[in-house]
Amino acid sequence: MTNLPVPATVMVKRPATKNRLGSFLIFLVVSLYFLVPLAATFYWSLRGEKDVLGFEAYRKLFADTNFLPAFSESILNAVATIVLSLIIVVPTAYWVTLRLPKLRPIVEFITLLPFVIPAIVLVFGIIRLYSRPPLLLTATYDSSRFLLICVYVALSFPYMFRAVDNGLRAIDVRTLTEAAQSLGASWPTILFKVIFPNLRVALLSGALLTFAIVIGELTIALYMAQHTLGPYMANLTRSKVYEPSAMAIVAFAITWAAMGIIDFVGRGASRRAQMADTD
Amino acid sequence: MSYLSISHITKQFGDTVVVDDFNLDIEKGEFVSFLGPSGCGKTTTLRMVAGFEIPTSGKILLDGADITNKAPNQRNVGMIFQSYALFPNMTVAQNIGFGLSVRKESKELIAQRVDEMISLINLEKHAHKYPYQLSGGQQQRVSLARALAIHPQVLLLDEPLSALDAKIRISLRAEIRAIQRKLGITAIFVTHDQEEALSISDRIVVMNSGLMEQVGTPFEIYNFPTTVFSANFVGTLNNASAEVVNPAKSLIAINGVQFESAVDLKGRKKGDKVRVAIRPERLSFASEQKKANVVDAVIENITFLGSVVRIQIKIGDTKFNMDTFNNPFLELPKIGSKEQVTCSREAVLVLDE
Repeated sequence: MTNLPVPATVMVKRPATKNRLGSFLIFLVVSLYFLVPLAATFYWSLRGEKDVLGFEAYRKLFADTNFLPAFSESILNAVATIVLSLIIVVPTAYWVTLRLPKLRPIVEFITLLPFVIPAIVLVFGIIRLYSRPPLLLTATYDSSRFLLICVYVALSFPYMFRAVDNGLRAIDVRTLTEAAQSLGASWPTILFKVIFPNLRVALLSGALLTFAIVIGELTIALYMAQHTLGPYMANLTRSKVYEPSAMAIVAFAITWAAMGIIDFVGRGASRRAQMADTD
Repeated sequence: MSYLSISHITKQFGDTVVVDDFNLDIEKGEFVSFLGPSGCGKTTTLRMVAGFEIPTSGKILLDGADITNKAPNQRNVGMIFQSYALFPNMTVAQNIGFGLSVRKESKELIAQRVDEMISLINLEKHAHKYPYQLSGGQQQRVSLARALAIHPQVLLLDEPLSALDAKIRISLRAEIRAIQRKLGITAIFVTHDQEEALSISDRIVVMNSGLMEQVGTPFEIYNFPTTVFSANFVGTLNNASAEVVNPAKSLIAINGVQFESAVDLKGRKKGDKVRVAIRPERLSFASEQKKANVVDAVIENITFLGSVVRIQIKIGDTKFNMDTFNNPFLELPKIGSKEQVTCSREAVLVLDE
């Protein structure tokens, strides 16, 4: 009887155990790197009362008369930033995808500028430009706040444009637009009934990333003398011991909640995409 | 006057002429295919009818009305895309009803029309599913129903079967044709697949480099190609340079081997260069039946293609393909052997060089 050659696939042994151990070690180190400071901050935030672990620092934080105004102002700024950013970015990205694809590199470059211009340079440039007529926007608190929102809109561009652009690429926007047009739809109908509903996840991702940036932003708000959460946290660090840690945990929880929402909504979309692929 | 008249339209992108003087009249209820390779201008022409491109010059008349510069949403033209283009956020029923809802039709009318369309495409059980829950073939049927729901004056199909697998493609093309016949709707079908065009169309427009090469019924296009491109693009073809030997007797010679053609060559002179085309299935072994032309050939290779056996032969110095139907009792010659092959006068097509 002749010996049949053993197929190569059977002969090759996968070093599965070694790989798994290596992966686990990397995971462990990275987890510790992130979790230890977080756990320490959380532990510190629980020591607001002498010799007792509790939520005293959180109670004091929420009881502080400056906290809620700063928090609500930051939230309102974030919402205004998101709305303005969507109004600017979505039609731009849509039109670039549909009609002006040659402009894409230029638009991408512009939207990436906030990454290369340091916040401190940006804020001094803005203060210099808008502190004298005819563009005097730093005269009052409200006009400065409007200016701050505009700066945040610019800061949100890299995230918002990328998220919307990816969303538009994923849905074959050109063909969907043409299909809707051939069925008699006008531009507003196409945008509101076909494009926006299919960009739900992308818009939400962009919006929540923008939200996270605005909520935690310090440098620009500080130099523009705004009473938002960033400067409030900075002040808190100078004057209190445990409350800044409680504040950090609250900010962290808000960010994670935002990420959770993106993940939850995105999971539904990716499951649909998966089902379509396996079809 | 024809129902859809595409009159001398030209489309330029910068300096590039994509469609050059395209001229076609289509009757109501006719199914016309634009057939050609990538970049020949067939899709651009279709998009001009749809309104997605505006012609650089020329006119498009639909039922007597000039639609050349009308916006796509003002044309009442249904379009089916290669990628289905169903709205992912809408169910099958919502997709089909979309065109009617933007026309502000009543809910009752929309529901009734959607039901009609869904039963037309036999997807009653899938009305409330989303596109991602359907197969490619089902999605394209929904796309067809969606385009038909608005009672379009013309149905435009832009390579609608290209993304589907072979079996579904064949069944769906028959379904599209049956529905088109049933509704009597005028349709333009763009494809690069000659078999698809031959099987589905009333007429075919063969296009190449922005120009119309030939317009005719599938029978005419296949059997009587008028240009070298048309002859080469549709079906498999032997073509070779030849010289007119005797115009009065329609005799030509391919590398010294004489063939008699049914084509009238009286307008040509002896020695004129022409191109000769012979379909592989028009050649056969002379032992079976002798036709007008009997020539010596050497068997070079034999390829089994399932229902057909393709035999590569050499006549003089020119290589030809000869097709014969496969059957279990087929006796094939040996490679290298010498045989006599034959073809009728009608099989020898003479085209301009």
